Amino acid sequence: MSATERIHKLLDETVRRERGWLIASLVSKLGPSKVELAEDVAQDAILKALSVWPYKGIPDNPRAWLRRVASNAAIDRIRRSAREFGVDDDWDFVTTDDDVVTPSLSDPELDLMVLCCDPNLAPQDQLFLALKTVCGFTAADTAALFFMTEDALSQRLSRAKRQLKSQASRIARFPTRFALAERMPQMMKIIYLMFAQGYLPRRGDALIGDDVCQEALRLSEGLIAATHVTGVGLHALRALLLFQSSRAPARTNAVGELITLDQQDRASWDQAAIARAFKHLAAARADEQVTRYHLEAGIASLHAQAVTWEATDWTSMSRLYELLSEQAPSLAVDVNGAVSLMMLGDTDSARARLDAAGARRGANAFPGYHLARAKLAEQIGDRAAHQSALEAARTCLTSSAVSAHIDRELSLLE
Amino acid sequence: MAKFVLMLPHAPDRYQNLGEADFMDLMKDYIGWVEDMTAKGKFEGGEKLLDEGGKIVTNRSGSIEVHDGPFAEVAEILGGYMVINAADYDEAVEIARSHPHMKHNETIIIRQTDASAD
Repeated sequence: MSATERIHKLLDETVRRERGWLIASLVSKLGPSKVELAEDVAQDAILKALSVWPYKGIPDNPRAWLRRVASNAAIDRIRRSAREFGVDDDWDFVTTDDDVVTPSLSDPELDLMVLCCDPNLAPQDQLFLALKTVCGFTAADTAALFFMTEDALSQRLSRAKRQLKSQASRIARFPTRFALAERMPQMMKIIYLMFAQGYLPRRGDALIGDDVCQEALRLSEGLIAATHVTGVGLHALRALLLFQSSRAPARTNAVGELITLDQQDRASWDQAAIARAFKHLAAARADEQVTRYHLEAGIASLHAQAVTWEATDWTSMSRLYELLSEQAPSLAVDVNGAVSLMMLGDTDSARARLDAAGARRGANAFPGYHLARAKLAEQIGDRAAHQSALEAARTCLTSSAVSAHIDRELSLLE
Repeated sequence: MAKFVLMLPHAPDRYQNLGEADFMDLMKDYIGWVEDMTAKGKFEGGEKLLDEGGKIVTNRSGSIEVHDGPFAEVAEILGGYMVINAADYDEAVEIARSHPHMKHNETIIIRQTDASAD
């Protein structure tokens, strides 16, 4: 990374994290019906505080500095227009310790996360809200993440916030501990979706995806660290995210092309992350119920343990996929389950599973489905079907990283 | 090594109604430059001036008058200044050429500080 890139990354990260923190702190003080106001005030305060950096350079501890200066600017602005905002004019809020920037999730951030995970909102809107407020992503970044226009995203966000406001006006304070426990599964789902969206191989700016994954990891860590919170599946979810992110260094080559699991250099997997993942997986055994996160973390752990793709424990793998398809059936589960059956040499069951996958909505647009069909055709020596499946995969709208991968496979056939 | 002051004026409405993404891009260019110059030992410091406010104090035949200003009608206002190290005006001009202010605005005024009594 060049010096310029480092500075850009530092700035983006600092601004994003402090924006999230500031929005959460303001909401916790102003009340859950004032998310939009909190966002505006936080944004103004941060930009105002930042505007001196071009003349002075970055301070020694940028996050602590930004937190202090932006908090003061936000307090000023709220005080000046206290009446207009409907708050007391002796308004103040405490910045705990200016110089300590908490590594994980502060209480206001946790509260805001609970607020965003309102069951009255569509899950995707909950996710948009969490990204935009708790995680501090801009509308432009969030829109890019979902391949949406900024206008379309903004419209959905304002609709979601209006709904939140009408809900929030009926509760005086934040969701209670009871509500927190009640919304736990939803919070886990949002974190899961956040990570999945960030993990997608994507066109253009890969950095946004990395940042989003980091945020999902931070939130899962924060939920576990919050001592008054327990959730079935929480440790399993964190294990899953850690296993997945441990492979990030091996997932793309030097020019950003996707490398599939069977081709990855396993030596470059992040062993520290894997070790932490196994600890959480062990902790997940205490749960009284097996969630999809348990099963998915189990699947990921089998990959993490395998010395090579071929040496993977495919028997356990196909069993886990079978259980997963009962709990959380999806196209991707069918496709991956079929691959594990192929690895066991059970081409008939694999074909049946792929046929089931093919009947699902969206199968034809999912390159993974065609790639699995290609693999099966290759295995049974059907060269024509192999090629046509690869070509079908190629026509799917997909990331340039995936297309490059498919092109390489196609060129091997010619 | 001499010290030079770079004065950075901009149009009064230059940063109003600027989208956040544009603002951040601008910031990154400026901050990147300052960090780069700091690493090279060329950057001494700088200050941003407050956009709002400003006073002009004038002596009119012995009586001091105070006016608000500068006003929005002026073509450019001083946004801030920086102090850099350079061997001579040639180097100072070279440094100013690389300044992102030349990309995002129009003018940099360079003045050497008088160090003859130091």
